Amino acid sequence: MIYLIFVIFLGGAALTWLSGKIHPILRDVVFLASLIVPSVLFYMNVEVGQTVSFSLIGYKLSWGINYLGYLFSYIVVGLGVLAGFYAIPAMKGKKNLGFFYSNFVLSIMSMLGILFSRDLISFFIFWEIMTWSSYLMVVFQGKDVQKVGIKYFVFSAIGAYAMLMAIVIIYSLNQSMMISDLVSSFASFDPTMQWLIPILLLVGFGVKSAMMPLHVWASGSYSHAPMAYTSIFSGALSKMGIYGMVIVMVSLVPIIPEGFWLRETIAWLGAITAVGGTLWAVAQDDAKKLLAYSSVAQLGYIIVGVAVGTPLAMLAALFMAVMHGLFKGALFMVTGAVERQTGTSNFTEVTGLIRKMPWTFLAALMSIIALAGIPPLGGFVGKWMLYESLIGSSHYILVIVIFFSSTAAFLYCYKFLFGFFLGQEEKEWAHVKEAPAMMVVPMLLLAFGTFVLGAFPGLILDPINAGMQEMGFASTQGKYWEMSMLFNEWGDQIMLQPILYAIIAVFAFFAIFLTIKGFKKTRYVTTKDISSSGEVPLEHENLTFSVNFFQPFLRTVEPLMKRQIDKYYNEFGRGMEALFDFTRRVYTGNGQTYALYAVIFIVILLMFKNTLFGL
Amino acid sequence: MELTLNILGAIATIVLAFIVGMSYGGIVRKITARIHNRMGPPWYQNFIDAFKLIGKTTAINHGIMQHFGPAFVMVSSIVSLMFIPILNNGGWFTNLNFDGDLIFLIYIMVFGPLGMALGAGQTGNPNSAIGVTRGLSQMVGFEIPWVMALVALMIQFDTTSVTGLMEAQHETGRWMMFTSPFAFIAAVLAMLGMFRYSPFDIVGAPTELASGPVSENGGKYLFTMMSSGSIFAFVKLTLYVDLFMGGADNLIILVLKTFALYMVPVLYGIVSPRYRTEQSIKFFWGWPTFFGFIAILYAVFV
Amino acid sequence: MVGSPVLLIAIPLLAAFMIPLLGMIWKELVRIIPGLVLAFMMISSASMLMYVTNNGTIIQTLAGWEAPWGINLVFSPLTAFLATLMTFMGFIVWLYSYRFKRNVDFEPAKKYFIFLMMLVAGAVGIVITGDIFNQFVFIEITGISAYALTAFYTGRNSAEASFKYLLMGALSSSALLIAIAIIYSQLGTLNMADIASKIHLMPAGYKVTALIFFMMGIGIEAEIFPLNGWAPDAYTEAPGPIGAAFAGIVVKAGVYAMVRMVFTLFDVSGAMDILLTIGLITLIVAETAAIRQEKLKRMLAYSSIGQMGLVFVAFGIGTLEGVYAALFLMLNHAIIKPLLFLSGSQLVFNSKEKLIKEVNGLGKYMPFTAVLFALGSFAIVGLPPFAGFWSKLSVLTAAANEGMLLIIALILIVSVIEIVYYFRVVNRIYFFDKAEDLIPQKPRVNAVIAMSVLGAIILIIGFNPDVVSTVLHNASADLMDTPQYIKNVLSAGQSLTN
Repeated sequence: MIYLIFVIFLGGAALTWLSGKIHPILRDVVFLASLIVPSVLFYMNVEVGQTVSFSLIGYKLSWGINYLGYLFSYIVVGLGVLAGFYAIPAMKGKKNLGFFYSNFVLSIMSMLGILFSRDLISFFIFWEIMTWSSYLMVVFQGKDVQKVGIKYFVFSAIGAYAMLMAIVIIYSLNQSMMISDLVSSFASFDPTMQWLIPILLLVGFGVKSAMMPLHVWASGSYSHAPMAYTSIFSGALSKMGIYGMVIVMVSLVPIIPEGFWLRETIAWLGAITAVGGTLWAVAQDDAKKLLAYSSVAQLGYIIVGVAVGTPLAMLAALFMAVMHGLFKGALFMVTGAVERQTGTSNFTEVTGLIRKMPWTFLAALMSIIALAGIPPLGGFVGKWMLYESLIGSSHYILVIVIFFSSTAAFLYCYKFLFGFFLGQEEKEWAHVKEAPAMMVVPMLLLAFGTFVLGAFPGLILDPINAGMQEMGFASTQGKYWEMSMLFNEWGDQIMLQPILYAIIAVFAFFAIFLTIKGFKKTRYVTTKDISSSGEVPLEHENLTFSVNFFQPFLRTVEPLMKRQIDKYYNEFGRGMEALFDFTRRVYTGNGQTYALYAVIFIVILLMFKNTLFGL
Repeated sequence: MELTLNILGAIATIVLAFIVGMSYGGIVRKITARIHNRMGPPWYQNFIDAFKLIGKTTAINHGIMQHFGPAFVMVSSIVSLMFIPILNNGGWFTNLNFDGDLIFLIYIMVFGPLGMALGAGQTGNPNSAIGVTRGLSQMVGFEIPWVMALVALMIQFDTTSVTGLMEAQHETGRWMMFTSPFAFIAAVLAMLGMFRYSPFDIVGAPTELASGPVSENGGKYLFTMMSSGSIFAFVKLTLYVDLFMGGADNLIILVLKTFALYMVPVLYGIVSPRYRTEQSIKFFWGWPTFFGFIAILYAVFV
Repeated sequence: MVGSPVLLIAIPLLAAFMIPLLGMIWKELVRIIPGLVLAFMMISSASMLMYVTNNGTIIQTLAGWEAPWGINLVFSPLTAFLATLMTFMGFIVWLYSYRFKRNVDFEPAKKYFIFLMMLVAGAVGIVITGDIFNQFVFIEITGISAYALTAFYTGRNSAEASFKYLLMGALSSSALLIAIAIIYSQLGTLNMADIASKIHLMPAGYKVTALIFFMMGIGIEAEIFPLNGWAPDAYTEAPGPIGAAFAGIVVKAGVYAMVRMVFTLFDVSGAMDILLTIGLITLIVAETAAIRQEKLKRMLAYSSIGQMGLVFVAFGIGTLEGVYAALFLMLNHAIIKPLLFLSGSQLVFNSKEKLIKEVNGLGKYMPFTAVLFALGSFAIVGLPPFAGFWSKLSVLTAAANEGMLLIIALILIVSVIEIVYYFRVVNRIYFFDKAEDLIPQKPRVNAVIAMSVLGAIILIIGFNPDVVSTVLHNASADLMDTPQYIKNVLSAGQSLTN
């Protein structure tokens, strides 16, 4: 059955491409089928713990899902299928769709494959398939491919090769590729390896989860891929880094003597990522870039939680991982919808869409509230658990840093909503229509997911708990959470249902209060009809406020943003190319030089033959 | 039956908060006027304004978000009110005191400004949006010392719930403004920003922004916002009293303590000119943050 | 079993002399006969490979002179594997270039096909011979065909490239001759197995000197740094399919000769480390030089040199796993690099300068070729699930088992550089706008078949590397087992005399 799932994915990818040559609708159908059929098979037929093994050139490979993987599969499959539906209208009319769709399927397959991998070889193989399929998506629209695309791939390659190095070292020490063998024998490795292996693995995972200083690819790649794909790129694909990181942090790092410092370092890197990502997100004028940096920041929180690693922190991190998949998936979809309807995703160009795209706005609003961590939506649950766990585990400065970052996040949250939907309604955008239902429904479903998890976080905390128990944590149910209750280390509690009901009751009361005898009598006036010191603004006056939106704030935090790691990388890259140009000149193109080289070669060997050949 | 009583209690709390908050507002107007050497309105002027507003017909709206914006604001004030212990022994005013904690309060208190910001955004008035951006920026400023103060308290007493902190004060018998003085200083400095009196009134900034985010609202909208603002002021003051001044055993003590506390931002504000946004943020990241830092160190090591 | 080792050499040589005569009968025969010959060689060596796998090494003595005195051909798992690979590649190159200059120019085509066949025959000879002087002769045959093919487009640049190649080739021959002379003067034998069994009798100074001259002589053919100056020019100026033949056939023969020297003939302890160091330097220099190239084939040439460096690194690890990895790399490189050369030369077919920027936007106009080029790029940089990944993995595991962490790191860093330049080209093919005046060249059917066979092999090995692992295991065990080699060769000679 497990093979069948992957065969269907692969075959589906190929068929999607081929059927596109016959008819576009057939292609869409095949595409959706090749996403849905294996997903259904997976959830219907695959039990946790069921594994299949086979052997390939001497390596024993084993596929099967565990509880942690099952949890992540919700993100991958759920978001993947919704994004698949979304993609069909969103990508309509673009070129090379067969290529896009089959890549899409390959991406989903590779992510599921990562979760299925019980050995390092298949893990790496799927990891790399994921990397290149996502790379092909980043360059799909052909913008800045040599810069953004290559940067993404180079960073991915650095990460993947660090991981590969760790894998071969593990194999040389263990003579086994199984992850479980690694975990069980890790304690017997010598200390150098105990440090080297987790660090190499973390570099690998850190790249995908956009951890500082390996994050520089993220803003460009997230914004250059088609939005239908970016929603899983940011929502699900980055979670694969988190998935790996969880395994390393929970199974390997505690074994290292003095491994505490590694944890703290990663946690601080996560926190710096969060702050940097947030500040850069505030500075962006393009929704895609804003969300890209926001993803970096959100992944920073998750990394902090994973690195701190107390049960509550781990709950928080995994819950936020699911949550981030939901709201960031929805937000990228919103951006895609706006871009599709207006042709731009720049805040300085498009404004006042709320009345044209109300459903998109609703999805954006809910996702933004979840992103900002405001109750009663699910983002709050994750934030709450993260803070409590940080305070409870004595990371006092860290909690302030995280708090700073998530308060500053309100700025870009508002910028996103205001930039697209609020503000002056301009004639230029008067023609804009709501996006097709097939695009709106997935976003609304995702946004609704944040709502449900805000009231009943137990729904997802339960699988998280199962995953954590499998990794050796004690059960956290009843200690830290119930279906709709949360507790911290000191037993203080949050009852989510009363909060939800109170909010709904008050909101409903005042909504009715404002509406009764009010809304019908009031008449809608345009955004030009505003009080402007007694003068009525004329039609041609530009009252849009979108340039330099948070200028005073940015001016204040300027010193923090001055050092941009990206610049150093670019300098480094240029320096290397200059160096390589030098090696190129070794080949002068002159036959005499080459002959001279040969003579030098033999002279050196003959002169030093005693040393060189060990005589 | 219990539910009914609870609801009645909640309504009583809201009414109390409304009256106290509105009166404070009026008194502050009076005090400000006297210091400025003006007559000023009577202390009940705010009530008059409120009832005038509610009686007015709302003529225009700018769309659904602006319409519901005030409701969002109200949610924030009232829900946070529900979670704050009014009196030490709870009684009628217990509400939802035990269902949330400080971190929840910090977040629910943001809900209102965000709703207001959205409502203001839809009006299309650039002044509103500018006000909002200033407000959000300033919030990033004062939240830092404020959270540092709260974290210091949480560390010191191993609890994150307001009721827990109040109990801790009862056990030691000393107010937290004395047991953790640096946290108190940081929190009070943060409070200056929270109440948005000058020099931190950059959001409304009457002369620059024509009262900023609220500028397009009238009638019921303005009434809702105004009463929400009053309730919110009461909420914040009560929270400070609960945390730092040992709570209150009855309403009179509560009123006295809150009023005394309220005078800090008011009196500081009356004699100060307005900051620019950068200055405001830098102010909060200066001494208040420093005190917050000291407070955390104090809580960890003492 | 079809044919015998000697036919692998005899038939192409015979055919080479026959072709001009047959070409007078029917011009098309000039094209068909080499194809038939190459097909025969391929089938024959493949079937002998199967036989060898099951029944052990075939030793064939020529002219009835037994082992230590006469020339003999050794068809062991290793040589059988390489011979099969080379003849297969020869056939693919022939298939690709079947319509080369058809209906245009008879004379060049005749030369082309004759030399191509000689090239393959020479390379196969290098691999299967058991006699060092005989090997020298085959190296010369290969070399001369290669010079001629490099100069095939009679122009200034080709002539220059060919001349450089010739110059280096002359150096190579002299060095080889010196080395052979030293060995013969000391041991009195030219048979490899005999040398191997007697090498311990040789004084160390002579031994090392001989090895050094061998290294230089063969190193020039095997493209090691700094002896590979001729390679970029030759690859660039030779016709596209010939570049593929160089990468897939000639270099492989050179590598084999080098490895045979170091592993079997000589028992010098430091030689492995030298191999590893030279390989590493070659790898780094070539890959870094490749990133700044402007011509497509030149870039591929440097990449090919770099890959050969990696092969030497793998051999230099010196363990069975290392050898296995090296052979796997050779196999993959022999499949992938020709694919890149073939599809790449198809991409720049109509451009004058053959610059990388001239492939801009061709993905739309030459979809099939472009996809295969992309596939080749993905495979050569070692992305799973394509063939290159498995060989890279086996190199790394071999190195890790010996604790060579620094070498692993270097290999991986170089791989990142490799990714950069290959993906820049792939990006250009797909995401840039085509130059207005460039006319895309539609590949012909035979070229399509040739390229898709290679592409299919990449996928097959990628998804199931076990199809080749047995052969590679046998071959690597064969290379490591010097006593067995000596015994096979010498006892076979005796059995014949008896």
